[in-house]
Amino acid sequence: MATLMSGTLLPPARETRLLVIKWVIALLVPLLVFTFVWNGEAAINQIIVGLFIHNSTLGSRYDWTTLIGATIFFVLFYGLLTALAGYAVAADSGRQNPIMLWISMVVFTVVPIVLISIVNDLFVGISFSVLVWVPYFLILRFWHRSRPAVASALPRLTPLNSEEQASLVRRAIAGGFWFGLTFAVLSLVVDLIYFFSGQYGTDSGILLIWIVLRTVLLPLAGYFLGRLSGGLALRHTLKANGKKAQSSKEAIDPRLNPSLLTGLSASRSREEARDLVPNDAPLNSSGARNFYLVLLFAFLLCYPMIDPLLFGPGTEGRLSLYGDAGRYVILALGLNIVVGFAGLLDLGYVAFFVFGAYTWALVGSPQLTVLTGLVSDPHIWSWLFWPMVLVAALIAALWGVLLGAPTLRLRGDYLAIVTLGFGEIIPIIAQNMDKYTGGTNGLSGIYSPAFFGVQWNVSTPMPYYYLMLFLVALVLFANVRLRDSRLGRSWIAIREDEIAAASSGINLVKTKLFAFGAGAFFSGIAGAYFAAKLSTVASSNFSFTDSVLYLSMVVLGGLGSIPGVVVGALAVYAINVLVLAGLDNIGSDPASFLHPGYAQLQALFPNFSFGNIRNLIFGIILILIMIYRPEGLIPSARRRRELHHQAKEDEEVEVGALDATPGSAEFEKEVRVE
Amino acid sequence: MSANRVKDEPESVGVAGEALLELSGVTKRFGGLVAVQDVDLQVKSKEIVSIIGPNGAGKTTAFNLITALYRPTSGDIRLAGKSIVGLSPDQIVTRGIARTFQNIRLFNNMTVLENVLVGQHTQLKAGILGSLFRPPAVRHEEEAARQRAIELLGFFGTALLERQEEYVINLSYADRRRVEIARALAAKPLLLLLDEPTAGMNEAETLEAVKYIRRLRDELGLTILLIEHKLAVTMGMSDRIAVLDYGRKIAEGLPEDVRRDERVIAAYLGRPAREDQKAAIEQQEE
Repeated sequence: MATLMSGTLLPPARETRLLVIKWVIALLVPLLVFTFVWNGEAAINQIIVGLFIHNSTLGSRYDWTTLIGATIFFVLFYGLLTALAGYAVAADSGRQNPIMLWISMVVFTVVPIVLISIVNDLFVGISFSVLVWVPYFLILRFWHRSRPAVASALPRLTPLNSEEQASLVRRAIAGGFWFGLTFAVLSLVVDLIYFFSGQYGTDSGILLIWIVLRTVLLPLAGYFLGRLSGGLALRHTLKANGKKAQSSKEAIDPRLNPSLLTGLSASRSREEARDLVPNDAPLNSSGARNFYLVLLFAFLLCYPMIDPLLFGPGTEGRLSLYGDAGRYVILALGLNIVVGFAGLLDLGYVAFFVFGAYTWALVGSPQLTVLTGLVSDPHIWSWLFWPMVLVAALIAALWGVLLGAPTLRLRGDYLAIVTLGFGEIIPIIAQNMDKYTGGTNGLSGIYSPAFFGVQWNVSTPMPYYYLMLFLVALVLFANVRLRDSRLGRSWIAIREDEIAAASSGINLVKTKLFAFGAGAFFSGIAGAYFAAKLSTVASSNFSFTDSVLYLSMVVLGGLGSIPGVVVGALAVYAINVLVLAGLDNIGSDPASFLHPGYAQLQALFPNFSFGNIRNLIFGIILILIMIYRPEGLIPSARRRRELHHQAKEDEEVEVGALDATPGSAEFEKEVRVE
Repeated sequence: MSANRVKDEPESVGVAGEALLELSGVTKRFGGLVAVQDVDLQVKSKEIVSIIGPNGAGKTTAFNLITALYRPTSGDIRLAGKSIVGLSPDQIVTRGIARTFQNIRLFNNMTVLENVLVGQHTQLKAGILGSLFRPPAVRHEEEAARQRAIELLGFFGTALLERQEEYVINLSYADRRRVEIARALAAKPLLLLLDEPTAGMNEAETLEAVKYIRRLRDELGLTILLIEHKLAVTMGMSDRIAVLDYGRKIAEGLPEDVRRDERVIAAYLGRPAREDQKAAIEQQEE
């Protein structure tokens, strides 16, 4: 222990010290705001009390599942942040100015936390933050452009020897340890203030124990988490161990093989180097992304349990809404296959959703008795939901193929019009076949799914929330697998150049039909879920407007980019359903800060409500995005290249390039012939 | 047909005898325009045959007919004795014909490696279920495909290997041509159709291209049919040359014979030039 202490825990060397200070402040400020300004501390105290003193008034407010779920989340949350501190210290190459980082951290993390706490609504808070972020982003970009163009050196691509690798891990440990220590000390101070001002009352005993435990454990945890994140950082470095790349994988992966990396163009190697450590922007690298993904996953999984602690009453309503967002994500992912991967502009995607919804509606409801005379016992029949999801998806896929077949010889606009036609026809058919589909009134009394010991009905959104998470995870997995496969490549090839694709052996008909089928398959899944959750299906639920909405999700998020499409779907859903309704709620509440302005607007424009101007706002946002960021929110690398290839930042020619004589090898390398 | 043939025909190289590719009386009409008229051509295995002719002679149309981008109005095209008329372009690739294009049709927003991987489409078997579940067979297949793609890139030396993760749109023109050929090779063809492979290249690059085209035949055993405008290249590289003009084949045979053929000279240079040429030859003989 003594050697450990002397080696890593004493104040480290000067540059490491600066890095540690930089990142501890950067990550600690948002964490402190979350913990003490907002509800973090209060939530944790409630958990502690609830877990150990179940009889008190405070303790019995929440049930065991909530408490345990929330515990898991908070442990992961604080742990990941500590590990991230370690990773950032290890991964930082030291070139970036700390002040810029601190300002960015405040804007991107403290502002949303504060706003969410003020409006007490997750999505309204985030959308207000977006109003702050966009101007900040534009100011930053303007400022960067106005500075004299510094010849940006290619990112340092030198491999690290084993000594440097060891110091990387030491830095990570230092970062994690000091983060944990500082946080523990600061929380201790704040808690002592609370304690001595008598705010803890009768629960103070258990809380005091907790405070002491925490102060001791946090720095320890910081040490170990730092070491873990140091190991993670090591996996993303260029190593120079003197051994030739052994496995074929290393020979191919340019990030691990320095010689391959130097052969890439400036913009491409910058792309690759962003994932390497050390780095100018460590929070953007793929290693840091692992932290975010785990945190996101924990958040989504534990959300039903932390929502009451963070946002107060009303969890059920919120869960129901947020679960619905998942349906849009699935639809967007499905459409992404058709439009994003294969490049087939489909304007009638809602048709397949209709098939999926009615498949379960016809089988899993009293309508079945009406149609076939089979009497179904709801309790037993509900179990049929699970195989029927698959059946609904397959039926939707079949229709995808059938409706896609006539479009095969058409290009671009003509294909879009035919699909638009189908998108109109199918809901109208559903409406007119009222003997089967209940016409405009639709079918009701559709059974919910059944699962062991779980109550499913309209008033319990939690099982539906988890079902939706599960379905989204499945669909995401399927999409990623498809994209990185022979089939995915053939789709992208078709999008790029049909003739070249056919001349490379790709059967155009089969591949396009597969695209339609696969896209429709996912919408069938969403349809079945929709029918079960809403328990009613009416043809008025579906129209061309929905198809356009789904398409806008895909385009907004980034055509062909899976994370982009997910974000796009959530953004569109948030704007259309959550934000505007939330603004209405807040505005009509006389006590809120929005109310005066809201009342004014209502006086000026009678019938004004945010819900009413929904389409206006949505349209404006779409137009702005198409002008300023046509590649979408999170574009795939390809798409950004397609749309911004002419931009200056891509084509930086290093100064010495034009000295090479034409015809020589160096000339070819430097000057891109377009 | 026999009137067009030159008397001395060379021995075909490699597996002698049957023609690998045979066009018989192939005609293509686009409405009133006859792009290709009654063309006969035989390409024997492991031969390098060039098709030359002035612009608009129907050379690329002939290629498009062979690779089924167009369907012949009449006539037959046979590969290894079996007719390939009426197949779709991707089926042609499975039968063993691959091609490159006059103005390089690569998949611009994919990397070099991905382009060559797409070229292997017909050699891989993973379907939709295989892609979703990735059983070990599929994983091995993908790994082997990557390895093969790298080997194919290696055929051209280290230039492409170093840039395998680069998007093709960033590559130089000569490199893009090579990637296109590598993509065509990925399909394990028997017959390779190269449409103006040295277009836009300077002398040094052209020489290099000629070298690797020869290596395609010598090392990989491919049969090559090329369209070429640079007469020096065709003369130096081909076993036989066929000349098209206004959709008809006007000459065929060994390079030296075709070069001196009057009809060929007239087609390229026009009638007055032909008479100048005649006069020059007569003067030499005096």
